[in-house]
Amino acid sequence: MSLKLDPRTKLYMIFVVSAVVMMSATAPFLWAVRITMTMIPILLLIVEKHYAAAFRFLIFYGTALLLTFRFLSEQSKGFLSAFLVGYCSIIVQFMPAMITAWYVVRTTKIGEFVCAMQKMHILDGITISLAVVMRFFPTIKEEYAAIRDAMKMRGIMLGGGNAAGMIEYRMIPLLFSCVNIGDELSAAAVTRGLGGKVKRTSVQVLKMSVADYLLMFLFTAALAVFVGSKYIG
Amino acid sequence: MMQTIAQIKNVTYRYKGAAENSLDRVSLSIKKGETLLLCGASGSGKTSVIRLLNGLIPHYYHGDMTGEVTVNGHDIAKTQLYELAGVVGTVFQNPRSQFFSVDTDGEIVFGPENIGLDPKEINARKEIIAKQMKLDKLLGRSLFELSGGEKQRIACASVAALLPEIILLDEPSSNLDMEAIGMLHDIVCDWKRQGKTIIISEHRLWYLKDLVDRVIYMDKGKISLQWSSKEFAELSETETRRLGLRPTRINEHYLALLSEQDDTRKGHVDIPEGILLKDFYFSYHHKPYIFRKKKFSAADGDALSLSIPELILPKGKVTAVIGSNGTGKSTFLRCVCGLEKDCTGVIISNGKEYRKRQRIGFSYMVMQDVNHQLFTDNVEKEVLLSMKDKNEKRCHEILDTLGLIEYKNTHPMALSGGQKQRVAIASAIAAGAELLLFDEPTSGLDYAHMEKVGDFLRQLADSGSTVLVSTHDPEFIEQCCDYTLRIKKGRLFSFQERNR
Amino acid sequence: MNDKKLQAKDFITIGIFTALLFVVEFACGILGFIHPYIVASYVVMIPIVGSIPMMLFYTKIEKFGMLSIMSVLLAIIMFVTGMGYLGAPLIIASGVIADLIAKSGGYKSFKKTIISYGVFCLWICANYFPVVVSADSYRKNLIDGGYSVEYCDNLFRAINSKTIAVLLVLCFVFGCVGALIGKTIVKKHFEKAGIV
Repeated sequence: MSLKLDPRTKLYMIFVVSAVVMMSATAPFLWAVRITMTMIPILLLIVEKHYAAAFRFLIFYGTALLLTFRFLSEQSKGFLSAFLVGYCSIIVQFMPAMITAWYVVRTTKIGEFVCAMQKMHILDGITISLAVVMRFFPTIKEEYAAIRDAMKMRGIMLGGGNAAGMIEYRMIPLLFSCVNIGDELSAAAVTRGLGGKVKRTSVQVLKMSVADYLLMFLFTAALAVFVGSKYIG
Repeated sequence: MMQTIAQIKNVTYRYKGAAENSLDRVSLSIKKGETLLLCGASGSGKTSVIRLLNGLIPHYYHGDMTGEVTVNGHDIAKTQLYELAGVVGTVFQNPRSQFFSVDTDGEIVFGPENIGLDPKEINARKEIIAKQMKLDKLLGRSLFELSGGEKQRIACASVAALLPEIILLDEPSSNLDMEAIGMLHDIVCDWKRQGKTIIISEHRLWYLKDLVDRVIYMDKGKISLQWSSKEFAELSETETRRLGLRPTRINEHYLALLSEQDDTRKGHVDIPEGILLKDFYFSYHHKPYIFRKKKFSAADGDALSLSIPELILPKGKVTAVIGSNGTGKSTFLRCVCGLEKDCTGVIISNGKEYRKRQRIGFSYMVMQDVNHQLFTDNVEKEVLLSMKDKNEKRCHEILDTLGLIEYKNTHPMALSGGQKQRVAIASAIAAGAELLLFDEPTSGLDYAHMEKVGDFLRQLADSGSTVLVSTHDPEFIEQCCDYTLRIKKGRLFSFQERNR
Repeated sequence: MNDKKLQAKDFITIGIFTALLFVVEFACGILGFIHPYIVASYVVMIPIVGSIPMMLFYTKIEKFGMLSIMSVLLAIIMFVTGMGYLGAPLIIASGVIADLIAKSGGYKSFKKTIISYGVFCLWICANYFPVVVSADSYRKNLIDGGYSVEYCDNLFRAINSKTIAVLLVLCFVFGCVGALIGKTIVKKHFEKAGIV
């Protein structure tokens, strides 16, 4: 089974979840809504075959929930429990946003995302820059790995004993590489017509399906419940 | 009479901030359907000619230019780069840096999307090109997991998707192995058959000799010689060497050796004494583990990406490590110099054992992209960084032998490629490494520079260091290597002494 | 280069440096998982470490829009990675203002660059917005739920709506300090190597 959601739906999901994590759940019903909302991206991750990630999030979130609820009724004493509870409550609070973001980042192709941005009438310049940002994360990772290897070989992983060196030895070769790659990349891109006056097209086909509308509806409802309980109830 | 498709009229060009002209009164006219090869040393102006034709000069690289360039009826100086996109296509040297997307499909359609073609048309083009160039296995994949050769094929496809009349290739084979060069050859051959005008700037000449119609030899920014394809194919080795070119023919022996066709010549030499490598087992795919990682051993059998139970490297010699890309050469080098800490191999030299991290001190790898290995703001500091006792006298000695002493206050990044390589070697010597590893040190070098690197490795070996060099470069092996060690699928396939 | 408008090449450069800056933010962000107090020290770490790529970036484009677009990109990335969107106006505002300041110095004046980068660094405070906004209701929620008041004060001492002003000031100050450090490094390496 495959369920391809429209990137716009995914962005909307993030929007709602990011809003909800900033509002505390005060009643059991709200908790239920909150947990259900968190389960949706986990389920979607399973549908998209990211089993390991889904499992990890489930365990993590579940444990945090359990600990929070167990300790919630007690007066917390001692450093460890205070630390633990603080930790768990932060996880419970913000984890839903993290899970949703993880799901979106992992399952959206950059082309789809850029196309969605185009459809939302965001300037070409911004979409180009954003596509470059996405392309550059893996590049930075590759370059950084090579630099780390070189540092290991030189025995300067700790920067020769000072923090400034630690940062400098990593940053300088990385910047030199990125600037070089950037120059070559720009040259290759402009010879293939980037930056022309015509509006760019996209081969990506974005279509909202029933699932998209359903999810949008669900998340809107959840948002309404939260906002309602906060400002009316 | 064939019509002229591109014309360069008396162009002189100097890059902004450069001391000398890169092109000096160059005139050249290119006929429709012609395949033209530009050769000459690095810095002779080959790349600048390519940049004139695709408009990067004067629109992207700024400088002083006189003269005129017309391509397919467009006056380059007055034409914007994006207007040239459907006219001239360019395949660049570095497969890593010329792609814009992260996936292969996105890359092929990138150009057509930029010029605003209809999505239906773009998809149709993509399918045709994928079929022509046999890319079905590469479609739908991440560009970051492809090999250099595969990336270069996608780059070609991406250029072809714009259906340009003229295709330029700027040293396209620099980072490729034999197999990938073969594929590149076939692609160019197809384009030629389709009637495209092709201009290739290249150092490696042998794979092009049956393709080109005309060869231009450039020297110091001038066109100094021209050959027809027949004359070019007949150039003798002394002639090419005099001009600083790589030979137009390649010894059959190497072709077979480097292209994996020859599976019969197994042979192993016996080296009585040398550096013993023992138990080098490694895999990139870890078995799942709960508490501690399981160490790799011979028992893992086929699951291993590298499996070398025992190997003796001859001391004070240069050994070439060969084999096609992705077959384990790099893994082998990384394991030997201790970068893969999960590899449990032991190095034994002069009765001393080096394990794990100790291997790092004993050996040192000069990476293919030396830019990653330069950290400080001058050459002297760079070498001192490797020394535990910061002995300045010794540092100057090392720099002196490597011909770098006059650059001791220069920023390493301001040096030329070859000089950077030597700075990296200087650091290796300063660190006291006895086993020096080089990862494809001659890719993209012209004959003269390659020869220099070769001489240099010989010098290192003669002064007692043991050198292990991974390479695809037959001319380089011919010039400086004593042994060839062939790796296939992470296993030692053959180890032979070269008859010099 | 005479062209005042941003071109394809410039958009690519902006993309690259945004990616680099975000990697810096992310690397510092991981440290924040160790202890909440480290989260507060973002205002010191990110301006200083980020100054190295940023000072190079300032020399690269020198056209209006370079910082504005970067801030928009940062806002989008923050949103997509689930770090909230309440900070978006702050990010974009500091980007645009920083851009205007740098422009008033023609992107050449180093004094203006220092101030510009200081202002630009205010975007870092956007990291705290979700926590600050949810903090009040969350704190109340915790106390109702039986936590000790002392514990809650402890938890929110570093980050609350009062200290956000302090954090903003710190961002600016360390941004200016960072600009000086970053400039030194750019001189030491990139100018010497002839890249800038």
